[in-house]
Amino acid sequence: MSSIATVAEFWGELVTTSLLGTDRREPPSPPAGPLRDVVDDATRPTPSGRMLAATGACVAARRAGFTPLAPAPAPSLARPPHDDRPMLPSAAAHRWRVVVAHWPLLEDEWLDLVERGGWRLAPDVLVDLLRRHRIDAGRRGRIATLGGPLAAWLVDLCPELAGRATGRATAHRRELPISPALAPLLDEDVEAVCQTLVAGFAGGLFGSPHRAVLVNLVARLRPEVLGPLATALRAADATAGGVGLAISLADLASTRDQMIAELTGASAHG
Amino acid sequence: MAPAEQTDRWSIEQVVAIAPSAARFAAGEALAVASRWSTLGADARVVWGRCLGSGAEPYDTVVDHFDVAWRCSCPSRSQPCKHALALLVLWIRGEVPAAVAPAGVAAWASSRARRADAVAAAVADAPAPSDDVAAPPARDDGEVRPDTDASASTSARDDRIERLRGGLIELDRWLDDRLRTGLADPSVARYATWDGLAARLTDARAGALANRIRRLAGVVGTRPDWHEHVLAEIGVLHLLAQAGQRVPDLPGPLADAVAVAAGWQVRQADVLAGVPDTQSWVVAGRSDTREDRIEVRRVWLRGVESGRWAVVLSFAAYRQRLDADLVVGTAPHADLHRYPGSSLRALLGTVHDGGGAGVAAPPASSIADACAELGAALAVEPWADRLAATVLATPTVVASRWRLTDCTGSLAMAAGAPGTAVLLAASAGEPVAVTVEWTTSGVVPLTVHLPDRALDIGPRADPSFVVAA
Repeated sequence: MSSIATVAEFWGELVTTSLLGTDRREPPSPPAGPLRDVVDDATRPTPSGRMLAATGACVAARRAGFTPLAPAPAPSLARPPHDDRPMLPSAAAHRWRVVVAHWPLLEDEWLDLVERGGWRLAPDVLVDLLRRHRIDAGRRGRIATLGGPLAAWLVDLCPELAGRATGRATAHRRELPISPALAPLLDEDVEAVCQTLVAGFAGGLFGSPHRAVLVNLVARLRPEVLGPLATALRAADATAGGVGLAISLADLASTRDQMIAELTGASAHG
Repeated sequence: MAPAEQTDRWSIEQVVAIAPSAARFAAGEALAVASRWSTLGADARVVWGRCLGSGAEPYDTVVDHFDVAWRCSCPSRSQPCKHALALLVLWIRGEVPAAVAPAGVAAWASSRARRADAVAAAVADAPAPSDDVAAPPARDDGEVRPDTDASASTSARDDRIERLRGGLIELDRWLDDRLRTGLADPSVARYATWDGLAARLTDARAGALANRIRRLAGVVGTRPDWHEHVLAEIGVLHLLAQAGQRVPDLPGPLADAVAVAAGWQVRQADVLAGVPDTQSWVVAGRSDTREDRIEVRRVWLRGVESGRWAVVLSFAAYRQRLDADLVVGTAPHADLHRYPGSSLRALLGTVHDGGGAGVAAPPASSIADACAELGAALAVEPWADRLAATVLATPTVVASRWRLTDCTGSLAMAAGAPGTAVLLAASAGEPVAVTVEWTTSGVVPLTVHLPDRALDIGPRADPSFVVAA
């Protein structure tokens, strides 16, 4: 016992004794110095009392003497090739979270805009995209492209991000279907689109059964229509039927409008 | 506060504002058809009705439109559910007749009114939670029990001191028994061994220590080195039990710190009455942890001028909301009121400027300097179980364990830290500024500080348990 010279060795002995208990094993003697003084002053001079005092003192000493581990041996991790694309604006990264939470049908368009704008995915978005599309072969391929060399490097280091994709990747996303009756609105001017939709709500033509077709329509309208349409729909008569759908569509139009502005308003390459 | 006899109806915008999302509001609005509802009624405080949903039984829905609360028998985790939103839309449209509330609705409304009055009466000097895990805020179906003013009566105070002292003596004896019989003894693996002590500590008003005991019970057998972790915590508890019995003999700040750590309650009003530390505070990181049935959020702040750390806690029980006012990466100019002693814990007072413009980051140090800083803090408070530091370091892996490293040393990361992948992606093998939370299991990355943004990667609350931003 007297051979214990350091606090670390003493701690190891304490751990061993604690497993067996002082009924079966005498507690170790601390190394000479303040630790031994504390144990000698223990209020209960029983083996367990001395052990308790030694444990408290040893923990306090170890914590106060908190030291770093040795530096990692160099080279630690191979670095991925440099990616000189500018990082996605933080507003666009935030918008992606809104899109996947509330309007996932916009996600493909968001990815298109990122690709066309030449943006580099923000680290948090890249990780979440890799997690989100582990089994979607089509999107997985696009994310690997958008993520660049960092994506492959990351997947190597974090196997939980590796894909489980099955099936074939498709190069292009599917166009959202809309009703033939609404299709002409895709080419109408801003005023006509707003008037048609607002009048439809006011006249009770639109209700929750039409949600899917109207959502697809708003997701395909020309960008310049979106802002005014959101404003017009938000002003819908609160007492009319379908006001909930109108407000929901306004939110979709507004989200898409901001998404496009964030990814195309400022050029990725300055 | 009682509602006026005639309460203005809400606007549709107000209903949209409380809906969790626009899609949720749309789902509610689609249900706002009178034919789907029965026993509709409204009075000056509440609106109620039964909605025929997908289940065999209709859902009973009540909304307090005066104090804004709701209750519904549907199983939805979305708050408010679509039935509550639909009921409000029907009410706005004038499709809910005025009526006398049924007994169940009236009882719910009156209990809410009573609680609101009690809270209003108690809010001026409500006691602060004394420990890391506070009592949960009053729940919708709970009961508010304004704390008796212990300090108002000397005898009550003496009685409490004596109970706390008794609890500390019992704790120390219990720790002694554990070391006498050994951690390999089968009794250690039985939860009842720990829970019985925790219950007695709770009775002795040593809630902080009771929570530590319950947390420790959850460690037994969960990892290969559990006995080392348990022994270290036994050592810390012994220090607290001994120091807690000698509080009158300790120097002032240490006595305060020991008393708070042992469970002595400090009134929130007393903390807020103290001299504030006013400066810009960088919101450096946050972490959410489930402790028993409460979700605890720790928001770590660092003073721009003083460089001192502080932590602001918030708590939420099931379906309650965690405080999201402090946003990581901002630097509000605010009054911070510290708890007595050397505690890092503080309450946020007046916010003079939200500091929303730009991205703020605390200064990053080397690993060696951070360890020195952590060691100094632990020397003052060896019982601290979480501290924060900001380092400029590179994540790397050594012997299958992630570390943060630089030329001065390295810090082991806690196994399974949720933000590891984002930290790696942000670093790409280069040094990166990262705020970490030190725990006895290793450091947990909380925030990656990039030049134009702060990536909040700390552990998040389970959204199916509490509402958390």
